[in-house]
Amino acid sequence: MASAVKSLALVAPAVIGLVRLFTGAGWPVWGLAVACAAAAVLIVGGVAAYDVARLRSTRWRLTGERLELRTGIAVRRARAIPRDRVRSVDLRADPVLRMLGLTVVKVGTGERAADGDELTLDPLTRGDAETLRRTLLRGAAADEQPGRDAPLAELRWSWIRYAPLTVWTFTGAVTVLGVAYQAAERLGLEDLAERAAGPVWEWVAGHPLPAAALLLAANLVAGALGAVLLFAESWGRYRLDREPGRLRLRRGLLTARSLTLEERRLRGVEVSEPLLLRLGGGARVKAIATGLGTAADGGTEDVGALAPPLPRLLAWGLAGAIAGRDGGEAGLVRHPPAARRRRVVRAAVAVAVPAAVAGVVSWSLPWPSAWAWAVPAVAAPVAWWGAVTGARSLGHALAGRHLITRHGAVVRRTVALERAGISGWTITESFFQRRAGLVTVSAATAAGDGHYEVLDVGRGDGLDLAARAVPGLLEPFLTRPAGEPASGGKGRAA
Amino acid sequence: MTGTSMRPPRNRADPRAVAWWTAQWLVLMVPVTAAAGWAYWTLTDRPVWLGVVVAAFGAGCLALAVAAPRASYRVERWEVTDDAVYTRKGWLTHTWQVAPMSRVQRIDTARGPVQRLFGLADVTVTTASSAGAITIAALDHRLAADLAERLTARTQATPGDAT
Repeated sequence: MASAVKSLALVAPAVIGLVRLFTGAGWPVWGLAVACAAAAVLIVGGVAAYDVARLRSTRWRLTGERLELRTGIAVRRARAIPRDRVRSVDLRADPVLRMLGLTVVKVGTGERAADGDELTLDPLTRGDAETLRRTLLRGAAADEQPGRDAPLAELRWSWIRYAPLTVWTFTGAVTVLGVAYQAAERLGLEDLAERAAGPVWEWVAGHPLPAAALLLAANLVAGALGAVLLFAESWGRYRLDREPGRLRLRRGLLTARSLTLEERRLRGVEVSEPLLLRLGGGARVKAIATGLGTAADGGTEDVGALAPPLPRLLAWGLAGAIAGRDGGEAGLVRHPPAARRRRVVRAAVAVAVPAAVAGVVSWSLPWPSAWAWAVPAVAAPVAWWGAVTGARSLGHALAGRHLITRHGAVVRRTVALERAGISGWTITESFFQRRAGLVTVSAATAAGDGHYEVLDVGRGDGLDLAARAVPGLLEPFLTRPAGEPASGGKGRAA
Repeated sequence: MTGTSMRPPRNRADPRAVAWWTAQWLVLMVPVTAAAGWAYWTLTDRPVWLGVVVAAFGAGCLALAVAAPRASYRVERWEVTDDAVYTRKGWLTHTWQVAPMSRVQRIDTARGPVQRLFGLADVTVTTASSAGAITIAALDHRLAADLAERLTARTQATPGDAT
């Protein structure tokens, strides 16, 4: 039923295609109408029939140990997931499904595997989905009425002011226009588009300066509007709850989404502050968890996102609430001056290369080529800013259960990674790092990005940090100068 | 800043690794050198200075093929304790890797066709992290098999949550 409605979306381009084909062949109008109607019935009927067949052949059941699913029309397939492997349950209902009271359920396990790894039940009635979610994530008995406690976070519409603070605001409209033009080309509307674009283009060519300004402004307005609409759609009715032993995220104005995460699979929190958002005083909060898919299945959506762009202080508060008060920003240890010097030298080299090129160009070419100097002239302050900001944002700390590390100039990320979740260390020391007495300490973990780095930390500090973060693991492989106490024996703070 | 540093792991690769790595480098370098020589001989009118450059290039390639494996052999080390796997590698960029036994998920041994001629094998230890795989390169193949077995037994005996 739902897919029959959705298949109407397929009908529209088919009808357009037919119209184009047959007007070319000189058909009468009634013939055209009949052909279009026939095509529509064929498509809707076909999709509905396929869906009925699919539903007929799909069976699932929940036993004491397993969730089993049998699917497949031509190729029968049976899958089973042991219940104790279930890490996350993802409910999703687009507007059509919601009208019909249905929901698609995705059950994620801890596997770090490709797409389509999740077990998908498509669709269930809303009540069934909710019951399944509760029973799968165990402790249905211990489950008090959700929503009675105050939520960890709830949407405030004033946050929408952070929505346009992304690069997409500047590039989004152009991208959409490009895609739309391509689509128009496919459908054979490019003549129309060109006819429309022709006079516009002429006018632009006639008045280049006001046109450029106008286009930029229009692009900006369209981008900002798009960003705001996208924010409203994906974060409307946002609410983050802590249920016993798990986090539950609900959001979505049109498509309702609900993600439930077991807290024992949560390995930390990341607060990321992209440049524009940072300038606007905002930040994002992401979960570092096992069993979350990568960004693949949501497209541009970030599956780990726990909140929309928030005011900075609220973001830190939320991160602290999730990570158990360890997520704070205070007490980060700065990295040695050598780290800053390294960045400045790197920036200098990055500027020196275009400067040298500009020198060669202006020396060898006859025409006045002072323009070549524009590149290094612009690059120099940017590189300097990057180096200084990058160095200033470096920091690390060991706080209770978490290892905290921060770096990044353009996107500043602060990661609180649970120490118990660290599954190994990689310590690298490049030639230049060695001369500066710096190392990069990288903690491997099963969750999130797979590894989180403490960049350019002083050699002794970095090794100490790693040794203290996971007591006993690194200690046997360290040599310490005589007379210095080993500092690993504080025990695992659980 | 303290003077703490990583100590080198105890064990080296098998001495035959030098021969194997040299063979690998030669497989790469001999065709490159030959191609440079051939191009010089047939495509140019053989100026002396270019001849010297090509000869130097060839000699450099061969010297690298001889020197690099020896340098690697000096640098690459490994160690397996009851609690962890520990390796060091890298000549310009030093890399140390440590993985605790309790997080090891999989142990693989691999032997390439040329590697088999030299009786060598690699052991790869994988943890749940996508970034934490550790490879102990170029061990005697019997030692590698033993080590894999020992590691398997050891990881099974060590309780731990793999994820």
